[in-house]
Amino acid sequence: MKHLIPEFEAIKKRLPAEGHSTLVLPCLHRIQEDRGYIADEDVDALVEYLGVPRIQIEEVLTFYTMLRRRPIGRWHLQVCRNVSCSMRGAERLIDHLSRKLGVAPGQTTPDGRITLSTVECLGSCGTAPVVMVNERYHELQDEQSLDKLLGELEQP
Amino acid sequence: MTGRKILMDFEVTPTSHTLEAYAARGGYQALAKVLREMKPAEVTKEVTAAGIQGRGGASFPAGRKWQVVDPDDGQPHYLLANADEGEPGTFKDRWLLEHVPHKLLESMLIASYALCVRNCFVYIRGEFDLPYRRLAAAVEEAYAAGYFGENILGTGFSCDIYVFRGGGAYVCGEASSLLSSVEGTRGYPRNRPPRLTVKGLYQRPTVVNNVETLSNLAWILKHGAGEYRKVGTEKSPGTRLISISGHVNRPGVYEVECGYPWKKFLDEDCGGILNGRKLKAIIPGGISSQVLPGEVAYGLELSHEALWDVNSSLGSGGMIAIAEGTCMVRLLQVMLRFYHHESCGQCTPCREGMGWAHRVIDRIVAGKGRPEDIDTLIHISKFNDGTTICGLGDAAGYATVDFIKHFRDEFEYFIEHKRSKCDGRLECLPEVAHA
Amino acid sequence: MPEIFINGKPYQADPDQTVLQVCLANGIYVPYFCWHPHLSVVGNCRICMIEEEGRGVDIGCNMPVKAGMRVLTESEEVHAHRKAILQFITLNHPVDCGICDKAGECTLQDYHYEYNGAPSMSHEPKVTSTKFYDLSDRIVLDNERCILCSRCVRFTREVSKSNGLGIEERADVSLVRPSTDGSFKDDAYSDNVVDICPVGALLSRSFFYKSRVWYLTSTPSVCPGCERGCSIDIWHRKPEWFVQSLDPSENSAIARVTPRENPAVNGPWICNKGRDLARIFERKRALEPMLKGKPATPADALATARELLAAARHPVAVVSSWGSNEELDAFRRAFDAGLTVVAKHDHAPEPGEVVEDDVLIRADKNPNSARVRELFGNAAASIPAEADLVLVWGEGQAFSKIPPGAKVILLGSYLAPENGHADVFLPISIQTERDGHYTNFQGTVSGFSACFPKAPGVADAESLFAALAGSAP
Repeated sequence: MKHLIPEFEAIKKRLPAEGHSTLVLPCLHRIQEDRGYIADEDVDALVEYLGVPRIQIEEVLTFYTMLRRRPIGRWHLQVCRNVSCSMRGAERLIDHLSRKLGVAPGQTTPDGRITLSTVECLGSCGTAPVVMVNERYHELQDEQSLDKLLGELEQP
Repeated sequence: MTGRKILMDFEVTPTSHTLEAYAARGGYQALAKVLREMKPAEVTKEVTAAGIQGRGGASFPAGRKWQVVDPDDGQPHYLLANADEGEPGTFKDRWLLEHVPHKLLESMLIASYALCVRNCFVYIRGEFDLPYRRLAAAVEEAYAAGYFGENILGTGFSCDIYVFRGGGAYVCGEASSLLSSVEGTRGYPRNRPPRLTVKGLYQRPTVVNNVETLSNLAWILKHGAGEYRKVGTEKSPGTRLISISGHVNRPGVYEVECGYPWKKFLDEDCGGILNGRKLKAIIPGGISSQVLPGEVAYGLELSHEALWDVNSSLGSGGMIAIAEGTCMVRLLQVMLRFYHHESCGQCTPCREGMGWAHRVIDRIVAGKGRPEDIDTLIHISKFNDGTTICGLGDAAGYATVDFIKHFRDEFEYFIEHKRSKCDGRLECLPEVAHA
Repeated sequence: MPEIFINGKPYQADPDQTVLQVCLANGIYVPYFCWHPHLSVVGNCRICMIEEEGRGVDIGCNMPVKAGMRVLTESEEVHAHRKAILQFITLNHPVDCGICDKAGECTLQDYHYEYNGAPSMSHEPKVTSTKFYDLSDRIVLDNERCILCSRCVRFTREVSKSNGLGIEERADVSLVRPSTDGSFKDDAYSDNVVDICPVGALLSRSFFYKSRVWYLTSTPSVCPGCERGCSIDIWHRKPEWFVQSLDPSENSAIARVTPRENPAVNGPWICNKGRDLARIFERKRALEPMLKGKPATPADALATARELLAAARHPVAVVSSWGSNEELDAFRRAFDAGLTVVAKHDHAPEPGEVVEDDVLIRADKNPNSARVRELFGNAAASIPAEADLVLVWGEGQAFSKIPPGAKVILLGSYLAPENGHADVFLPISIQTERDGHYTNFQGTVSGFSACFPKAPGVADAESLFAALAGSAP
């Protein structure tokens, strides 16, 4: 995490002086972006850098759905299963992906490449059903477009 | 078509979100006028006179919220734009962030000036991808142009902004939970008193406003409260961004002048219901607003007062159209699963009640419902109404009570016959027979 | 001073009080789980609902008083809410009462009977979770019983400041968990969370399954672990519940130690050392007088001691900083200026023990050094070389520091090698066997009462002094 400290210091310039614990979540996001997940040694380093109690970081890590302490597949497929997406076929698509990938939501394919998750509303209801692949939104999905998407992921 | 435009008053192009394009449309002129010609208290007065209501869900008048903040109390104040947009059915703040982020930034500068805020924030949900990139880029453009930083436009007013990404928690869209999150802790909402405008972020006077609410300010300050009042209705001045989804032919974000007829909006602007079906029900403003039967909605205009009259709300503007043949029990199941997943767990009624309600409806859908289950769901809803720290419990309760109120027969059918009256359908597909 | 109306009657309030505080101060009971007078307000249990006339119900712990406000604590709506909140709290709470140590002193049990009493409305299986989770080697956590009031978490943040506990996950799978840096294990005040937990989620390992609380009674006492002298309760078997066929030593055993609230000394807390007083008081006892290690009768031993004292030309007495005010007074009366007095610290900090902190713990690990100072202010720090008789009272005197050739009379309670080396050894009673008072480092005097009877051969030091000095007691 140490190599990210200059970035964190730059953020401080736009924060109030009394607001340095604001850095907790931004730092965790950046660490996860860098490593793919947040390792124990990252927690050690962050506690030292921010000077907050360790339990605070540990609580935060378990509260937010986007943060993870273990690596997942190279590609994280997150399918929205909330109201508007379900009304446009999300349940069908979840089944379709599940069958195609051979995993249930929450699991990673045996080759470690793809993790399938179901998530709540992503704010893309007008272009439902929506699937997030890593950070990108893929809207207006159906079985065909998902098969195409999977095909594109297979390529190294 | 849907009335006068304040926010969606330009053509979206691949570059219409840039500072250059925004300035060419007259952007940042309102800011210059405010900084050079008005005192902070005058700005607040104008916002109050405009009567703009919060567009995040609660519809609380923005001016009334601002007035609690004393510009001369000598302590730091904070302003946060709530871009957490997690209310299912809602995606209109996203439109603003992707297509005209500078309107939000200019408006936030105006608000910061009025409230004597030196550091402001945009709290954007962590999942947002393009909206975040566009907003972050806009912030850098604005800094480069001297609209943020020290001594803006040479007026002595200084302001910094930080775009804070959430971590994936619907509850963080609640203002006090948002502040807990920004303070680097779990997103636990807080009890009031104290109000956030008295003790908010870092125990300082803080204003949290929705992105759309704020984005209106540039126009209001440019044209004046009087002009704003000419738009919309007396009790609902201005326009609302409606993000409509579900079983309509043309889902999307529309700017609707308050008072616009609902039927016209659905049938003409949104292209009517999918596959020529009838409208069974409609959720007006995010799933936490009370569902209305289709015929009721057709008789109303889109304004705050019209919906309050039928015990519903424009809420977050997240409208979901539900066609005939949709199983309302299954739909409520999806919603209760959501509330259960998103409960922060801090207070008793919501923590236990959301899980309980979810398990009850799962059991009903699995064909193992019991006659008393409907009363149980209503009991859970009743004792989440006004008993919780934040509105999540209340919202789930309203949704449950009104689904049962208007569609009780489906719940009773499911329990008695151990299956859905509508074949468990959530989609509206062409070849399916009517329910 | 605003006046508010509770259930129709007027009460005076402080402007920064909450309605709950005004109610409790005036003997109007309102139920609460998460509120605690020494912790911050979180308002998460939602059971302290109070109705404000014309405005509906809200939690009382966060309801500021306003002059003229009218509240009701026993209205129909309040009752309905209390019952409903209890329905929610017991929804997933395991019916462990039959095997839970907290039974009999459990707030949830009490409230259930008082405010609900109805069976659960739920047909769903209860949410299960971890049981027997070791928060440390002293405290075991049962997450199923936990009602997430967060008192324990707030305690570690606001009182002990160890930040040892937190809440992880969300919704109804939220879990109290310890910080992985071990700060809860190192928290010298950790056991206080057992007292403040309103249910049987946090339990003490040393008391685990030892006894039902209704078999026990508590005796007020003072912790001798340091010169703070925290007020405590020592719990032991009620006479009517004495065991008949098990080991009779159970009947004079310390079942547990809890704090006794004392605003002047320790508030509602004690440190973990105070919880472990059995380690001190239940060491093996010396019960027989001895003459140079050989058992003797009390009469012989006393007579020999008196002879030695009378014959001594430079007698020295080393007094005990564990002696009570009464014993120390009796000592002074008996010997007056007749011999040189040396003060000692019977106990010193052990390796690994917290020496001093800014919460409660003091470096002087003896309960009555203050009274010793008051009475024997000019006491020597070490035994003069010319001493030819040393009367040692209590523990902690290294025999190597006694001038060789001097006669030794030792008054002690516990088995120790020194007992056999003394010319005369006389067994004396310990704190739990008599009444008395200690003076703490701030001059505050606190009293303790006897919990257990003395063994037959054991004398009270107080009466021994008079006998030794040959004067009337």
